[in-house]
Amino acid sequence: MDWLMLIAAGCCEMLGVAMLGKLQLNRNWQTLCLFLLGFGGSLLLLSQAMNTLPMGTAYAVWTGIGASGGAVLGMLLYGEERELRRIICIVMILGAAVGLKLLG
Amino acid sequence: MKNNSAWFKIAGAACLEVVWVIGLKHASVPWEWLITGLALLVSFYTIIVASRKLPVGTVYSVFVGLGTAGTVLADMLWFGEPFRWIKLVLILVLLAGVIGLKLVTGNSHTKEVS
Repeated sequence: MDWLMLIAAGCCEMLGVAMLGKLQLNRNWQTLCLFLLGFGGSLLLLSQAMNTLPMGTAYAVWTGIGASGGAVLGMLLYGEERELRRIICIVMILGAAVGLKLLG
Repeated sequence: MKNNSAWFKIAGAACLEVVWVIGLKHASVPWEWLITGLALLVSFYTIIVASRKLPVGTVYSVFVGLGTAGTVLADMLWFGEPFRWIKLVLILVLLAGVIGLKLVTGNSHTKEVS
């Protein structure tokens, strides 16, 4: 359950970051609300996940999901380059996260 | 000179990052939550300001690196988390992935947003 919340927190963070980028282009209430919802939800879920997970592990995985998820979204939705170097980095992040999960 | 002060800002923001992460896990009374919230806002704001002076990918990498090191250390030093080599190695691999991703993406990303 704690790991599911951590993954959900990472997804909310991606929403927040995406909206932050959008806010710099055009400021409107809808984008602002989604931005606040994304980061608010992300932090709430992160704090819940940290009830049982060690702080350092939870923080590292949270950051990792945000970064790799952002890169994957960029490649899938915005036609960013599918560079081998980037894919290797994403695999490293996901592999390490799975390893940490298996450690318990 | 201006760049130097931007680097100091990043270091300060990373320290505040560790403060709010500790707060998210351990805060229980209102003033502790207040400090957590303030640290959160100031650290994010500082990073945004520093990113105007320095490349975003670099700023983010240093910030996340210091933040992760700080939280893992705090966990082991103050909150009785047992030290395990394999865990440390996995966190380092994860961090290397995040930093690599940001450094490779860093400069092209700003073009895409605009």
